[in-house]
Amino acid sequence: MTSQQQKSRGTVLNLALFDLFHEWILTLCLVLAIAAVIAPILLLLGLKYGTIATLRDRLVQDPVYREIRPTQTYEYKKQWFTDFAERNDIAFLTPTILPAASIITVKILNSQKTEIFDLIPTGMGDPLILENGGQIPKGNQCVMTKMAAEEIGVAVGDNLSVRVTRNRGGRQEFATAELEIVSILNPRAGILERIYTPLNFVVDVENYKEGMAIPTRNWTGGSPRPYLSFDGIIAVLPQKLDLIAKGNLRINTGVNEVELLANQAFAQITGFNLPTHLVSYHLHNANNIVQASSYRAVKRKLRGKKAIIIPYVKASTFRQSKKEISVFGLSLSPKHLQTLGLSELPWGALKNKPSYQKIGQLLLPNNIEKLETVIETSFAGIKGTLTFPLRIQGKSPSQYALVPIELLATLRTGLQREIIFDDNQQTFLLARGGYGGFRLYAKTIDDVQPIYTALKQQNLEISAKVDAIERIRILDRGLTRIFWLVAIVGIIGGIAALIASLYAAVERKKRDLSIMRLLGLSRYQVFRFPIYQALAMAILSIGAAISAYFTLSLVINLVFSNDLEMGQKICYLPASHLVIATLLTVSVAFISALLAAWKTTQIDPAEALREE
Amino acid sequence: MNKQSKFSPAPLLSISKMLKQREQGGISFELEVPNFSLQRGQFVAIVGASGCGKSTLLDILALVLRPDQCQEFYIYVADNKVNLKRLWNQKEESRLAEIRRNLFGYVLQTGGLLPFLTVKKNIYLPIRIKGSGYSDEKIVQLAQRMGVAELLSKKPQFLSGGQRQRVAILRAMTHQPEIILADEPTAAVDKENAHIIVQNFHKLAKEIGTTIVMVTHNHDLVAELADTTFTFKVTRESKTLTRSVCFEATA
Repeated sequence: MTSQQQKSRGTVLNLALFDLFHEWILTLCLVLAIAAVIAPILLLLGLKYGTIATLRDRLVQDPVYREIRPTQTYEYKKQWFTDFAERNDIAFLTPTILPAASIITVKILNSQKTEIFDLIPTGMGDPLILENGGQIPKGNQCVMTKMAAEEIGVAVGDNLSVRVTRNRGGRQEFATAELEIVSILNPRAGILERIYTPLNFVVDVENYKEGMAIPTRNWTGGSPRPYLSFDGIIAVLPQKLDLIAKGNLRINTGVNEVELLANQAFAQITGFNLPTHLVSYHLHNANNIVQASSYRAVKRKLRGKKAIIIPYVKASTFRQSKKEISVFGLSLSPKHLQTLGLSELPWGALKNKPSYQKIGQLLLPNNIEKLETVIETSFAGIKGTLTFPLRIQGKSPSQYALVPIELLATLRTGLQREIIFDDNQQTFLLARGGYGGFRLYAKTIDDVQPIYTALKQQNLEISAKVDAIERIRILDRGLTRIFWLVAIVGIIGGIAALIASLYAAVERKKRDLSIMRLLGLSRYQVFRFPIYQALAMAILSIGAAISAYFTLSLVINLVFSNDLEMGQKICYLPASHLVIATLLTVSVAFISALLAAWKTTQIDPAEALREE
Repeated sequence: MNKQSKFSPAPLLSISKMLKQREQGGISFELEVPNFSLQRGQFVAIVGASGCGKSTLLDILALVLRPDQCQEFYIYVADNKVNLKRLWNQKEESRLAEIRRNLFGYVLQTGGLLPFLTVKKNIYLPIRIKGSGYSDEKIVQLAQRMGVAELLSKKPQFLSGGQRQRVAILRAMTHQPEIILADEPTAAVDKENAHIIVQNFHKLAKEIGTTIVMVTHNHDLVAELADTTFTFKVTRESKTLTRSVCFEATA
């Protein structure tokens, strides 16, 4: 571009605009014609968007439509929750307890009125709480549904006394806790009388109802002690068994293999030699663990045969610091130990439910120096690390370290079911196996279907409002198709009208354009003349169309206002859509003007002279 | 012929051995221009009957029609000699347009005013296209001299034929072109007005030192004012070919 062209910049634009202004009636007609195409499209888009947005809004606003609920009780492992929660379409997932365990009796402090409510776990990000005017409860806080709060007559800030009842051994027992009400949910959250508390409170209630003690809440009861399990049993006898007796050991004992054990093999398992006047048999189940009941059954079968029954857990090792210690579990009476040529053990014979005081003991073999009286020890083979203290009580008569067999049998159970060592109770406990259900919310209503499908693929029985969501989606698709059909016809009509008008305008203004060329405007400059006019008319048209759209949408929304909630609109377009519509109109106008623009370049400046 | 030009002759445009053929409805017309030159400040008349080729010559001079053959076609801008033949051959249309807007002014038969601009904006148009400046005061002064000062805010359709021509003359001069090409500027006005227009035109052009090339079929209108007059000798070579040769009438 030369400097002169730069100086004259804006001349063509000015000429184009002056010409439009000069022929303002024609311009107005064309602007109105284009606006008449755009405005209905905008209105249709607004209705489609507004209707769907309102319907979706109703679904989206209500978290119930994003909830996926299990319809069958099933044990969901902790790992399942960990794995499933990794999906990025899940807004909230928490375990729930068995429905029967979630019933609690509630009363206001210092009042006699009681009600029975359903106890539901909640946690951070629970949309049912957060989107219904609630805040997530922590510790001993709770959130109530409107119905529950009204039923018992409480308000936010009140304290509730919660009574959890159970029947244990035919005796009615109860425990109490105090909960502070931090929120009362909107009625939309549900018509059921429910109390939402943190998961740990709900789990404690379930455990209590199952007879367990909850020491942290001073709720008394039993403990979920791990059962004992063994790899096998060694039966030491003064003489060999006859075939009948040997076969009899396989009947109703839980063991299916009974074989004579060589002395060398005995020593390898136990770490000490079998006196020569004794024989030993190895009893085990090729397919399963050997339980304490098997031990008792074998003991009964060999009664009167002077048998020493040694249940064992094989190849056990403890890790302490960097050391690995081979351990053998042995709990025998002094008499049996004497028979085996062993010195007395501090913990005595095997007991079914021993205290940790008894089983937390260790005898070190001669080749390991005694370091401390109490060592923290972990059992190899258990998933993760299970740490527990052991008291060193002296030297082992075996080449292995000796511990009570109850300790190893407990840890052996830990290979199958998660066990924990409870420092407070100083005992091993069975960790919770799983949960009876879950509460799950998808992030958006569009995420419900994929989650629903994923859960179905796991053969889980679930329910979700997928039908309601799908209906909206079908409606959305249908309206989108109708919109595009109308829009495409309209846009084509608009383009045709614009092309025709601009082309005709160039034909009409041939003389004027040739004069402009004669006066020194280049082809490129006159090329811009109809483009500027098209863009100007497009801007005016979209302005008129948007004004018409706003006016009509206002009327429509006013007409439907009684059927809409606050802030909802049946005809609505976000600003981004209007910006896109403007850009689209301007672009279409630009493209439509190209033919007319090309036509201007074909005008010969000589025509100005000749047409005179 | 008026020989009282106060400007010393200096070459402005020269053409030699130029040929242009046009064909319409199977009939050919051939214009031959052996020699044609313009001096600065000259008032040049191109006179001839209808169909003699005066408009074809004007188109070529206006740089909107390309000659078919040409030995020389120069325009002298400041101290530079611009080879218009080369520009045509190289299809340098933008350069030709630039020369048109900078060096030429045009007065067409009915004015050639743009109907959507006011008189004032029409007058300003060549200045804007050229990108040069011109004071409002000077425009008003010139408009007063041409008797169109009170028409400045009007649109061309509200002007009489004579008024339009006076505005067109003003528009052709305000950007101070080297050459003003006037194509039968008095064709649409009566004889009396025609004389006034031509005299005003001539006077103003002489004052600003612009060369005027005026095409007319009325020799009497320019006979007293023209420094040089070119005319045509038309020969009908055959039923389908007419040949016209342009020459200086005094030669």
